[in-house]
Amino acid sequence: MAIKRYHYARDVEEALSLLLAYEGRGALVAGGVDVARGLPGEIEGLIDITAAGLSGISREGGRLVVGATATLEGIRTSREVKAYMGGFLSEVMGHVATLSLRNMATLGGAVVSAHPWADIPTALIALGAEAVWRNEERTERAPVEELYARPFRAIFRRAVLTEIRFPAWDGAFAFEKLSRNAGDIALINCACGLGLDAEGKIAWARVAVGATPYRAARLAAVEELLAGEVPSEALWEEAGHRAAVEARVGDDMRASAEWRRAVIPVIVRRALERTAREVKGDA
Amino acid sequence: MKIYFELNGEPVYTEIKPGEMLLDLLRRLGMKSVKEGCRTGECGACTVLLDGKPIRSCLTFAAKAKGHRITTLEGLGTPEDPHPLQEAFAEAGAVQCGFCTPGMILVAYHLLSHNPDPSPDEVRAAISGNLCRCTGYVKIVDAVLTAARWKREGKWRKER
Repeated sequence: MAIKRYHYARDVEEALSLLLAYEGRGALVAGGVDVARGLPGEIEGLIDITAAGLSGISREGGRLVVGATATLEGIRTSREVKAYMGGFLSEVMGHVATLSLRNMATLGGAVVSAHPWADIPTALIALGAEAVWRNEERTERAPVEELYARPFRAIFRRAVLTEIRFPAWDGAFAFEKLSRNAGDIALINCACGLGLDAEGKIAWARVAVGATPYRAARLAAVEELLAGEVPSEALWEEAGHRAAVEARVGDDMRASAEWRRAVIPVIVRRALERTAREVKGDA
Repeated sequence: MKIYFELNGEPVYTEIKPGEMLLDLLRRLGMKSVKEGCRTGECGACTVLLDGKPIRSCLTFAAKAKGHRITTLEGLGTPEDPHPLQEAFAEAGAVQCGFCTPGMILVAYHLLSHNPDPSPDEVRAAISGNLCRCTGYVKIVDAVLTAARWKREGKWRKER
C-alpha cells in the first residue's frame, strides 16, 4: 500500500475537491472496511468522510433519509429506522456480518461497493431506495436499482454519495437470507414487499433476489404474477417457482446454480408469507 | 503524520504512516493482546474498542483513532490485577491457546456493559463474530455467564 496522505474532510465540498484533485489516485474512506480489504495500488490519498456531516438519520413524513456514513449498527439500532416500514431495514442490518463490522461499515459503503453477495443492495432495490450524490457540477439522484445499471463505479470516482432516501410504502416488506452461519455472507437472499387494496387483493408487489451469485435484481414477472391476486399459500408457492425460473443464477465457490434454483422458491415463499402477515397485521 | 488519541485511558501522541492499520500501530505501541488472525475482518482476534464499541483493528486505518478512545485488553486488567472477565475465563478453563481470548473478552465486556444478565444465546450471539481456533466455545460462554453473575452480585471491583 503506497498511501502518502490521509485527509479528514470536514464537509462534502472539501471531500469532493480533494477527490477530484487526486485525479483517480484518491479514495474516500468511511468505515474503511472495503477500502482496507481491496485498495488499488494506484491510490495515494485517503479522504476520510466520517466527520463530513453525512451520518444523520431522519424521517420526512413516511419517508426515511439515511446519511451515507451512518454505520450499519447505528442504522440497526436507530429509533427512526425501527419506525420505518415496521423495522424492516433494521432487521436487514441485523443479518449483515457481525457487530464489530457493523460498527465500522456504512450504508454508503455498502451501496458503492455493491458486492453481489451483499444483503443491503437486495433490500434497497426492493424498497426503491434512491441514492443522492454530489459531483463537480450538481447534486444528482437516482434509484439504486437504476444506478447499478449505469457505470456507477466510474461515477463515484468523481462524486461523493451523500444520502439514501427511502420512500413510504402502504404495505410491508420482509427479508430472507440463507447463509452457512449467522455472520456469513448470503448463499442467496431476497426481499419482498406487498400492499393490499380495499378488497384485500394485492395492489403492488416488489420482489428482489440477490447473491445468485449476481447482484440483486427485481423479478418483474413475479411482481406481475402477484398483482391483482388474492393472497394465498398457493399464490406464494406459484410466485416462488416463478422466481426460480426468472432469476439469473450461477455457480460460485459457495453454491451451485442448481442449488440456488432449488432454494429460491423456499425463500421467496417464506418472505411473501411473512410480508402478507405483516400487511394484514397493519390493516 | 502525527495523531493524538487515548489508549487505555492514557494520552498518546504518536507518528503513524497514513496507510497504517490500527492493528499494527497498537502492536507497535506494545499492545500485544491485539492479535493478527486473518487480516480480512473474519476472525475477530484483532478486536479492540473504539469509544467503547467493538471494531476490527485489522481493517481500521490507524488514522481513524485520531481524537478517539481506544481500549485493548491491557486496558481492562493486568496479570497482577486481572479484570473479573479475565478471572472468569481462567476459572472456567475458557482459555486454550489464548489467541482469540483478548477479542472474546472485549466483546463480552461490551455485551455486559449493556446487558448484565444475558442468556446463553445472547452470549453466543455476542461472540459470534469471534472465532476460536481451538473450537472450545462452551467454556467461553460459561466464563462470560460467570462474569455476568459476578457483576450482578457486585463483585466487579473496578470498572473503566
